[in-house]
Amino acid sequence: MKRQDIFVGVEVGTTKVCAVVGESGRDGTLRILGIGMAPSRGVRKGEIVDLAIATECVHDALADAETNSDAEIVSVSVAVTGGHVRSFNSRGEIIIPDDRFEIDEEDVNEVAIKAREVNIPAGNHFLHSIIQHYFVDGQAGVLNPVGLMGRKVEADFHIIHGVKTRLQNTLRSIRENNIEIEEVVANSLASAQAALDEHQKELGAIVIDIGGGVTDYIVFEGGVVRYSGVLAVGGDHVSNDISMGLRIPLSRAERLKCEEGSAKIGSGSPGAKIVLKNDAGFSGKEIEREMLNTIIHARIREIFELIRRQIEKEITPHALGAGIVLTGGCSLMRNIKEVAESVFDLPVSLTRDAGVSGPKSVLNNPQYSTAIGLIKFAQAQRAEEEESGLLGSVVEKISGWFRRRN
Amino acid sequence: MITYPRPSDYAPAPSLRIVGIGNAGVHLADRLVMSGAAGADVVVMNTDGQSLTSSIASQKLTLGPKVTRGLGAGGDPEVGYQAAQESLSEIRDAVKDVDLIFLCAGLGGGTASGIAPVVAEMARESGATVFSLVTTPFSFEGRRRNAQASEALTALANQSHAVLHFENDRMAELTGPRAGIEETFAVADETLISCVTSLAAILQGGVPMPVGLADLLCALGGGSARALFGHGAATGDNRAHEALEAALRGPLLDRGRLLNESHAIVAHLSGPASFSFAEVAAIMRGITKHVADSASVFFGVTTASDPAAPVQVTILGNYDRQSVEEAEAPVRSRTEAPAPTEKPDPKRRPAPTPESAPAVDESKPLFPEPAEPDEKPALAPRAVPVDPKPRPKIKPVAKPKQETLQFESVARGRFEKSEPTIVEGEDLDVPTFLRMRGKTD
Repeated sequence: MKRQDIFVGVEVGTTKVCAVVGESGRDGTLRILGIGMAPSRGVRKGEIVDLAIATECVHDALADAETNSDAEIVSVSVAVTGGHVRSFNSRGEIIIPDDRFEIDEEDVNEVAIKAREVNIPAGNHFLHSIIQHYFVDGQAGVLNPVGLMGRKVEADFHIIHGVKTRLQNTLRSIRENNIEIEEVVANSLASAQAALDEHQKELGAIVIDIGGGVTDYIVFEGGVVRYSGVLAVGGDHVSNDISMGLRIPLSRAERLKCEEGSAKIGSGSPGAKIVLKNDAGFSGKEIEREMLNTIIHARIREIFELIRRQIEKEITPHALGAGIVLTGGCSLMRNIKEVAESVFDLPVSLTRDAGVSGPKSVLNNPQYSTAIGLIKFAQAQRAEEEESGLLGSVVEKISGWFRRRN
Repeated sequence: MITYPRPSDYAPAPSLRIVGIGNAGVHLADRLVMSGAAGADVVVMNTDGQSLTSSIASQKLTLGPKVTRGLGAGGDPEVGYQAAQESLSEIRDAVKDVDLIFLCAGLGGGTASGIAPVVAEMARESGATVFSLVTTPFSFEGRRRNAQASEALTALANQSHAVLHFENDRMAELTGPRAGIEETFAVADETLISCVTSLAAILQGGVPMPVGLADLLCALGGGSARALFGHGAATGDNRAHEALEAALRGPLLDRGRLLNESHAIVAHLSGPASFSFAEVAAIMRGITKHVADSASVFFGVTTASDPAAPVQVTILGNYDRQSVEEAEAPVRSRTEAPAPTEKPDPKRRPAPTPESAPAVDESKPLFPEPAEPDEKPALAPRAVPVDPKPRPKIKPVAKPKQETLQFESVARGRFEKSEPTIVEGEDLDVPTFLRMRGKTD
């Protein structure tokens, strides 16, 4: 099998390192060959805090994935996240010289460079600049201006950037295992690749990926990225809240969250208790179910409200026809859907990975959606390169230069 | 239609007059008239007739036409003082029959330094409450000017009920080092103007909970200490938070840090009818977080009938006098040594003292004695009205604050050592339910 047809996505998450190996069929479909997973240590809030341990975890996950998929992993695409990842929309503008009227490929590239000539902090680095749409002489909504007649070309880009050194830490944990890195993708963008199909992107949707340490969100509308962001709050915070609120050890709180927790308040019978059995170093305790749910509810609701306030600065969420798609490990929380519905007043669905075939248990598990999205992203990128031919691929290389020179 | 008087109509709003003295005072008064925000009558006084002709204020007073021949005081407070004595009756007429007087002056030169204390004294005699808003010279303007300013400030502090003292040096820091001179001055002017307008707004009272004049005087009665002032206004969903941020961001508060050094502050909030209690509580928590345990916080909230009115947060206070005096003591002793400053000294200071002392006793129905006559020789600005008042208020303010502090110190759990995630002013590592409990209490 040709190497090009195998794609590997790795997510170094706060709770787990996850590697998914997929194969691209001739008709552009994706098939999951196998996954590898290892509990993550040395990662906090989506960022590496202990490189040696994190590197080991990545090694375990990759080895696991190799065994399961029966393929040799040479290069991978990586998702990056963290509280330092920022994004904004920027517009570039160029004027076509007087001696010609037709807009060509070069102009389009130039306008992309212009849009990127914005100030980001010195140590920061562009992760993505994603085209939203072009304007030709004020005509809005132009998808591809090449070949059109016009004097002035403007382009709106969504730009995602982060602190260079902090991004590099994640990449190093993979490079230390002698694995090449193909693509570096913002977590939110990768999750959206897995969670949304083209139709949903066109209608408009918000993807919220609530992971262990961070929550990534991204808004699509009219087929393009309108907004994205990272909130350095995730499932770990829920566990921490429980541990502090109920005064139980953190590991016990984590288990309690998964086994009993619900994000909805007022649903159980009043006064219902949960008995925690004694354990090594823990003498057992009886806690009120409502108390547990109140703690979880407060945190989850706050996450959604913060995201809503951020998004409302750019667009009105009500215009988003496809509603909200929740993904990430924390979206497994019971009744989380209802909380999101009440905050956003939009239909909410849990993720399902469209357009990928493979074991159902993998596809339906939101914990893998980022890694699966990475594969889809890499596949789409590869297809684009091949399509645009030799010249195009050179241009693509240059425009992708920022992304790869990590 | 029959209209019933609203509770706020029972007590008529106090009348307010703004008096600009000297070139800087005239300039500020003009700016206030132009901004239209003051809504008060404005009187300008100067020894320099020319600066008055260009002023747009309605009432103008050229002082000491014989002493100065309308040519200014030439930077000598003694000349200013003589000019004031010459025009004493005009000054008295200009400041009578009004409840509140805002004195605006730039100390250090001849006119304001010499005249302002006299005007303040006259105003007090006629029964008005006097707020003095003064600036002191840049340090690069030389020792003499600074000495004149600090002396005038002391005299003025003795005569007025409250002094808001802005140092030009500090005002210049409001803009970046590369800002144009015009910009720097404009920003400094704006700060002073917004201080005057918000102070006027506070004094106009309102429902449901205005800041009392006595409270205001207690917080601002720190004599010649430096003023702390922050003002923010915002509308929209996040208005409470944004207004608070803007107020604390005021450079005169140094992001709220300087509040810690103040012995008493006034926090005044205003907003439309939809201004909720939770928002008020959130803002006040944000402010008291910065205030020292022992400090009193005088808090008032008023609502406007206009539903589109922004939420406004105004913080006023003075630096703790002791710490400031300690810091300034060596400077003062050095600057008082040169001969020029001593010249006006013996004449000027004894003059106001015997006159003002008896007058004070008759003319103050509202608040405790703002100036003890026997304190004056010690040069110490009034300590008496400040100390007895805050005592009963200290306890209720300090108690809830300590509880929240305890939460914050232990509440981050496993995220104790990691980089904090601060969004919209809240530390998200602290459990949400703990932060919410603070909000609803």
